[in-house]
Order: sequence, then C-alpha cells, then structure tokens
Amino acid sequence: MTDQAGAVYDLGYTPYEGERRGRAGARRTIFWDGVRRVLGIRRKARKKVLPWLLVGIASIPAVVFVGIAFFVPGQIADATPGPLAHAQFFGLGGTMVLLFTALSAPELLIPDRTDGVLSMLSSRPLTSGDYIATRFASLVAIILGFLLVPQLLLFIGQASTHRNGLFAGIVDSADVLPKIVVVAGIYTLAYVPLGFVVAGLAKRKAIASSIFLAGIFGLIALAELIVRNSTFAGGRWFALLSPVNTADASNFWVFGESNPDSLLQFANINPSIGLLALVVVGVLAVSFSVIRYRRLL
Amino acid sequence: MPSTAFTTSGIGHAYGKIAALHSLDLDVPSGRIGLVGANGAGKSTLIKILLGILTPTTGTATVLGMDTRRDLVEMRSVIGYMPEGNCLPLDQTAADFLVYAAGTAGLPPRAARQRASEVLTLVGLDEERFRYIGDFSTGMKQRAKLAQAIVHDPKLVFLDEPTSGLDPSGRDEMLDLISRLGRFGIDVVVSSHVLRDIERTCDWVVMLDEGTLLDSLPIGGAAADDVVRVEVNEGSERIAASLRAAGADVEVDGDVLRVRHESIDVFDVIRDAAASSGTSLRRLGAGGATLEELFLQKGAAR
Repeated sequence: MTDQAGAVYDLGYTPYEGERRGRAGARRTIFWDGVRRVLGIRRKARKKVLPWLLVGIASIPAVVFVGIAFFVPGQIADATPGPLAHAQFFGLGGTMVLLFTALSAPELLIPDRTDGVLSMLSSRPLTSGDYIATRFASLVAIILGFLLVPQLLLFIGQASTHRNGLFAGIVDSADVLPKIVVVAGIYTLAYVPLGFVVAGLAKRKAIASSIFLAGIFGLIALAELIVRNSTFAGGRWFALLSPVNTADASNFWVFGESNPDSLLQFANINPSIGLLALVVVGVLAVSFSVIRYRRLL
Repeated sequence: MPSTAFTTSGIGHAYGKIAALHSLDLDVPSGRIGLVGANGAGKSTLIKILLGILTPTTGTATVLGMDTRRDLVEMRSVIGYMPEGNCLPLDQTAADFLVYAAGTAGLPPRAARQRASEVLTLVGLDEERFRYIGDFSTGMKQRAKLAQAIVHDPKLVFLDEPTSGLDPSGRDEMLDLISRLGRFGIDVVVSSHVLRDIERTCDWVVMLDEGTLLDSLPIGGAAADDVVRVEVNEGSERIAASLRAAGADVEVDGDVLRVRHESIDVFDVIRDAAASSGTSLRRLGAGGATLEELFLQKGAAR
C-alpha cells in the first residue's frame, strides 16, 4: 500500500483564458490571410505558380537593369534617366498589374463565399463592413506591393550606377521616391475597385477574371471611340470612363512628363479631375460591396 | 455566466412575401438546447437571426444577454457556429484553417496555434492536421466544422444539423462530442430534425413548426419522470409478464412498454425481467413519451 494520492486529469479540453484581441485582431488576421492567399503561401504548389510568375515577369526589366548596372557598369552609367524611366516603366508594367488584379481580387472574395467560410466568420467579432474593408485593404496592399517592388528595384539599380556610389545615387534621386509611391497608388486605385466589385458578384474565379479584363478593355475601347470621334458637346468627358487612361495620364503628370498619346490630354481634361473620378469610383465600389455582403455575414 | 442562453421577443422574419418565422417569444435557459422541427420550420432562420446575419422583420433577440443588433460584435466574440452547409476552405490544411479560425476570433498567433492543435486532438483529427481539407471524408469535415466552432472557447455554440451526412458510427461520435461540450462549460444550441439526436444530447427543447413555436420546455419535463420507456426487438408480452410478476405497472403498445415501479432500481428490475424472459432490448430510457411523440402531439394540437 502507498499513501500517495493519484489524480486523473482529462486533458481533452482546456478553456482558453488568455488574451483576446477582439475586432482589431480579427481584422489583422483576415488582412494577412488575404495576402497569403493571393501569393499562394501555405497553399498547394499549383496555387503559387501564377502569382509568382507574374511577380517575376513584372520584375524582369528591373532585374535586367540592375544586373547590367552591376556587371557591366559602363553600359548604363551615363544613361540617366535611363531607357526605363519610372513613368515609362509604370506604363510597361500596366498589363502585368491588370493580370495580377484579375487574379487577386477573385481569390480574395470568391472562395470565402463558395466554400461557406463567411458563415464561420458570422460567429467572430466582425461586421460585414469589417470584412469588406479588410479584404479591400489586402487587395490594395498586394497591388501596391506588386507595383512598387519592380520600381524600387529599378530605383536602386539606377542609384547604384551613380558615379559616387549607391548612397549618393539614392540621395540624388530621392525626390523620385514619393512620386513612385503616388503613381503606384493611382494605378492601384484605377484597377482595384472594378476588380473588387466584379469579384463580389461573380460565382467563379475564372469568370470574375474574364469579366474584369473584358470590362477594363471594353472601357478603354469605349472611351477612345467616343472621345476621338464625338461630335456632341461634352463627349470629351467620356475619357473618364476608362480608369486605365486616367491612370496613364496621371502617371506622366506626376512625373512631370508629357504623354501625347494620352486620351485625357486629347480631351483636354486635367488629370486631377481624373483622379477625383477614381476616388469617387473607389468609394462607390466599397460601399456597394458592403451593402452586397450585409446579407451574407 | 448568464442563466439565459437566448431570448426572443416577437421575432418574425419573412423572405419577400414568404414568412419564415411568426412572432416568436422565447426565453431559453443555459445548457444544451435542442431546436427541432421539420425542414422549413424556421430553425436555420432563427439561428441566423441569433447570429446577427439576418435582421428580423419584427421583434428583438438577445444571446447571452446581448442584443443581436446593438451588441453584434460583443455577442459574436463569445459564440461559435457550425453551419449545416460547408464552411471549410478546401485548399487549406486543417491546422492552418483552425489557426485562421482562432485568429479571426481575436486570439494572438501563438495562442491560436496552440488552441488549433488542442481542438484538433479533441475532435479526433490530430493525425490529419496537415492534410488538405479538400481531401477529407464527410465525417472528417464535420469534425473540422465542429473544431472551428469551438477553437476560440466560446460560451455558446450553435450547431446546425451537426450529424448531417454521417454514417451511424460517425453520428454516435459526433453526438458524444456534443454531449461533452456541456461538460466543458460551453452552452450548445443544436438544430436538428432528428429528434432522437436531440433527446440524446440536450436537456431543453424548442419545437418549431412552420415558423411558429410549438413549445419550449425541459426534455426531462417532456415526459413523466416516474415512467421508464422500454423498446424491445420482440417478445414484448413475455417481458411484460415478467415485469408484472416483479410488481411493475406495465402498458404495452406493440414493441414499446411503459413501465412504472416503486423500486428506485427500476432499471435493474427491467434488466432482470429481460434476462428471465429472454427478451432483447432495443432501447431503454426515461419518459413515457418520446420527443417524437410529444412533437407530433403538439403539432396535431396546434
């Protein structure tokens, strides 16, 4: 016999008594989930292929530039502002951003609806407005990142060709940095709202991507057709129909360059008016999505 | 903890011109609550109103003392929900999804990982945690759905048809898990049209029929306490005779016997009678009427 007392503990369930970060914690979790989901992080390998392929393709020109700058310094040393000036580089990467938005927006919104994850979120400290705002923020962050990474590579590449070294190059070109961020924001504002609204309505990702791309190219064609051939007063304002044209015009405007091909310039519309239109469309898009999701979450 | 799980006051809801709920007044105590009714009775609509997904056309509702509209975020932070349909992302592993589910409840990342691991073990998915949910069987998906509903340690969890699509053994295990939730201090609202599941797991029942309330009462009170219901596979008359010989008052209705006996060991008396008469028992439980019989009576009386 022993006088030691034994005890049996059921470790099957332990109540949680730790920290709860409430609504802010929930929003943070959904934000980072959105970023990971679009990039295929912690998903099957096939989910990673397309986003990283697009990131790679978008970065190739900048990487090539940086490579040449490092390995064959004499080739580019005196080429400032260089064949790939930032404004032109934004224009060059436009198609990639368009494709990346077409890929990202449906990935952020559609699986949660089709897989029923929204019903799980209805027992979490969130409102439908929180969910939509957070998903929108994820999309904005992803597209901004997609635009900024190649630009920053290019910036560093150009700075590294400075005759007094990288640091001197950065200091000399520092005024370009805020312009890069502003233009990246403008392109984001041009593409994200439409992609977001379409993804909030479509039932399948492929359909959403197709509708978004068709919508963007359709608006470009419509705006070009009306503005360049219109005979009626006020026809020039149809230039604002196309967010891509507005973003392209604003891009060159911010960098202080002129773009003779710009539809806004042809229509004699100041890009600042175009920017205002983009902001209004962005607000309307988020508001529409919040209303749409009220009955879902 | 409030002694009331949820209340409704004049709650009504209509989908367009089709009324799903008609002015429901309820005051349901904490515990394990069954929500029963046929398909279209309004169970899921009531749950969606209590979760704050649907705004009632009329009336108000509270969950754990919190108004479902005014205190939506606070209320949602202490509840869990296992929907009848899918709620699982097929392209994530169970572990990753559970960490996400805990994070969306506001748990910090480290705590979320720990809770995910614990709860997956609890529901029997510890071996499957790194498998993609898309590769899960129906039973495993049901367990994963239950896991996400309790990963953040809610005070009250809504389970909508939790045994749907499960085979008999999976159903048994799920009902056992639900019964255990009460012992963990989590109140449970189980919606089901399988009344035996409710009878087995719950201590209170809310009966709905075509959007109206039939009754809301304790399951123990749904039947006479001094009556034991016995269902046999065959030989009901043989066992009835043995029971009567042992001094019991027995009513026989086909394969069902209702037994009254002075002894506090009435179940022992029934066991001995079954053994002596060579009768095999199918079911043995308290109550003169099953929940199903009671539900049919209430429905007919409406």
